[in-house]
Amino acid sequence: MTDAILEVRNLSTHFFTDDGEVKAVRDVSFSIAPGETVGIVGESGCGKSVTAMSVMGLVGRPGKVVGGEIMFRGRDLLKLSKEEFRNIRGRDIAMIFQDPLSSMNPVLRVGYQIDEAMYAHDKIPRDQVERRAIDLLAQVRVSDAARRIRQFPHQFSGGMRQRAMIAMGLSNKPDLLIADEPTTALDVTVQAQILELLRDLNEQTGAAIILITHNLGVVAGLCKRVLVMYAGEIVEEGTVEQIFESPQHPYTWSLLRSVPRIDARRGHRLLSIEGLPPDLIDLPQGCKFNPRCPFRVERCFNESPPIEQVAPAQYAACWVTMERAYAEMGAGDIIDTSPGAASGVHPAGRTLPAAEVPAALAEPVGD
Amino acid sequence: MLTRGTLIYIAQRLALIVFTLIAVSFLVFVTVHSLPGDAFESERVHGKALQLLLHEYGLDRPILVQYWSFLTNAVQGNLGVSFQIRGLPITPLVTRELSVSAELGGTALLITIGVGTTFGVLAALRQNTWVDYTLTSIAVVGYSVPSFVLAGLGVLIFSYWLPTITNGVISYPAIWTGTYGTLVELSLPAIILGFYTSGQVTRITRAAMLEVLQQDYVRTARAKGLKSRVVTVRHALRNALIPLISILGPLVISIITGSVIIENIFGIPGLGKRFVESILSADYNITVAVFTVYALLIGIANLIVDLLYTVVDPRIRY
Repeated sequence: MTDAILEVRNLSTHFFTDDGEVKAVRDVSFSIAPGETVGIVGESGCGKSVTAMSVMGLVGRPGKVVGGEIMFRGRDLLKLSKEEFRNIRGRDIAMIFQDPLSSMNPVLRVGYQIDEAMYAHDKIPRDQVERRAIDLLAQVRVSDAARRIRQFPHQFSGGMRQRAMIAMGLSNKPDLLIADEPTTALDVTVQAQILELLRDLNEQTGAAIILITHNLGVVAGLCKRVLVMYAGEIVEEGTVEQIFESPQHPYTWSLLRSVPRIDARRGHRLLSIEGLPPDLIDLPQGCKFNPRCPFRVERCFNESPPIEQVAPAQYAACWVTMERAYAEMGAGDIIDTSPGAASGVHPAGRTLPAAEVPAALAEPVGD
Repeated sequence: MLTRGTLIYIAQRLALIVFTLIAVSFLVFVTVHSLPGDAFESERVHGKALQLLLHEYGLDRPILVQYWSFLTNAVQGNLGVSFQIRGLPITPLVTRELSVSAELGGTALLITIGVGTTFGVLAALRQNTWVDYTLTSIAVVGYSVPSFVLAGLGVLIFSYWLPTITNGVISYPAIWTGTYGTLVELSLPAIILGFYTSGQVTRITRAAMLEVLQQDYVRTARAKGLKSRVVTVRHALRNALIPLISILGPLVISIITGSVIIENIFGIPGLGKRFVESILSADYNITVAVFTVYALLIGIANLIVDLLYTVVDPRIRY
C-alpha cells in the first residue's frame, strides 16, 4: 500500500515507570488510505490512545516511542525535528479528544481556541481566520455561531463543546483526523449526532478519520475498516463487515458477544470476557490473550501468534481462529466462557482427562 | 467588564472595609490608651504641667469621647496631631511616609511576582532536574529564613565586608540618605523584603503549573501544534494564576508586616519605622493612625485580589 497517507510500521511505545517498563504498544503496524475511515477498538488500557498519541508525537515522559516508523505522506515523523513535527501536528494531522469539557481551556474564548490553531500554522490566510472560525462552528452545526465564538467553554453544553473541538481539529483542513473516544462523554442522542457529523465531514472534506473507541456500535456506524487491539498489539484487522460477521480472533468474537443486543433471543446469555487484560509490565508468554481465551490450545502458552491473512483483507493473530473454534470446539453453543473451557486446556497448559474431551480435540491443534 | 452585579459587589465590599476600619481603630484606640503611663511619661512632667498638657491634647476626657472626636476628625481626613513633635499634624506625615513604604513594598511586590512566577514556571517545566532543585532550594531558603536575619546579613555583606574587600568600590549605604532613596539604596531592602514572598510564589506557581500541565486542555493545545512557549504561557500559566491569586492577599500582608522590620533595619523613613517609634514613645495618635492605614491597605488589597479573579477566570462572576 504505497498510496497510504499514514503507514505505521512496527511501532513500539513504552513507559519507563518506577514499577518497571510498561510495554503499552508493541510492534503495531497498520496503514490508512486517503479519505479512509478506520476504527481502532479494544478495552481500556489496550494501547489505542497511546498509538494515537505516538502518531501525534505527544507521548510525554515517562513514555517514549522505542521503535518503528510512522510514515506520513512518505516522511518518517519520528525522524523529523521537533519544529518540523510541530508544523504537521494540528495542521496535517489533527486530533480530538475524549472529554470535551476538560479538553478545552476554561479561561479562553471558544473562538480564540479555534483561531489559534490556524494562526499557529499559517495554512489559512490570516485575514480569513476569524471568518473561518464562524463558518466552521456553523459547519459543525452550532447555531448562532457568530455569537457563540465570543463565549467561554463553560457556556457551551457537552455536545456543543465536542462540536467546537471538531471545529478546532478541522480548522487547518487536515488530511487525517484522529478522534479519540469522541462520543464517550456524551449522551446517546448527542453521540449519534456527532457520529453523523464526522461521517458528513469525511465525505465533504475527504479527511481520513481514525476513530478510537471501545464502543463497537460507534465503529459500525462510521468506519469501513477496523483494527482490534489487545494488550498493546493488533490482534485482528478487517473490513467492518468481516469483523462483525465473521470475527476470527477469539478476543474480537468475545467483544462482540459481550455487547447487549435488544434483538437477542430471550434467555440468550450476555457473555463477558473473564479476567482482566494482562499486566503490561509482566506480559504472559505466548499469545497475550491466552489467560482469558476459551479456545486456547497448548501452543498458545508458548508461542506468540503472528498476524496472518485469514480472508481477503482480513488478518488475525491467532493459532486457532474462530473458524476452527466453530468447527471443532462448538463455539456456536458455548455457554461457559472461562479460560480454556471450550478447548479443554486448563491453566498451566494441562489438558483435561481424555474422557472429557471431544475426540477432535484430543490431539493438539496445530496450524 | 463592570456589570451591575460587580458594582454592587464592590459597594458591599467597600462598606465592609469601612466597618472593619471603625472596628480596628476602636480596638487599637482603646488598647493603647489603656496602657500604663501616658504620652508625656518620658518627658518627666508632673502635676499641674502634666494636667495642662493632657488637657491641651484632650487626653483628660473620657475614652469614648476621645474616640468619637478621633473618628469624626478622621472621616474628614484629619488624623490628629503628634504628642512628641508637639502639634505636628499626622495626616501629611502619614501620607508622605506611606508613599515611601509604598515605593519599597511595591518594588518588593514586583520582584515577588516577577521572580516568583518565573522561578515557579521554570522549576515546573524542568521538574526533577538540577534547575528545579536549585530554584526550589532558593525558594525554601526564602520562606524559611526570617527577614531580619537576611537583612542583617545583607547589611553585613554589602555595607561592611564588600566595601572592606574592594576598598570602597562596592559599598552600600546602610541608612537611606534621602526620603525616597536612590535605586541602589532601594534595591537591597526591596530584594530582602520580597525574598520571603518570592519563595512562596515560586512554591505555589510550581505546584500549580505541574498540575495544569497534566490537564487535558494543555494536551489539546499541544495537539494543535502550538509553539511550546505559547502552550506554557497562554494555556498553562493563565490557569496556574488562579491559585496564585488566592495567596496574593496574604502575600501583601506579609510585605506590609515585613516592611515594619526592614524599614527599621535599613533606616528607611517609611510608615513601618514611624509605627515602631510611635509605640516606643507612646505617641498614641500616630499608632492608631498607622494601624488604621494598614487595615485600609489590607482591605483594599483583598478587594483588588477578589476582582482579579474575575479577570483571570471567566467562570467567576459577582
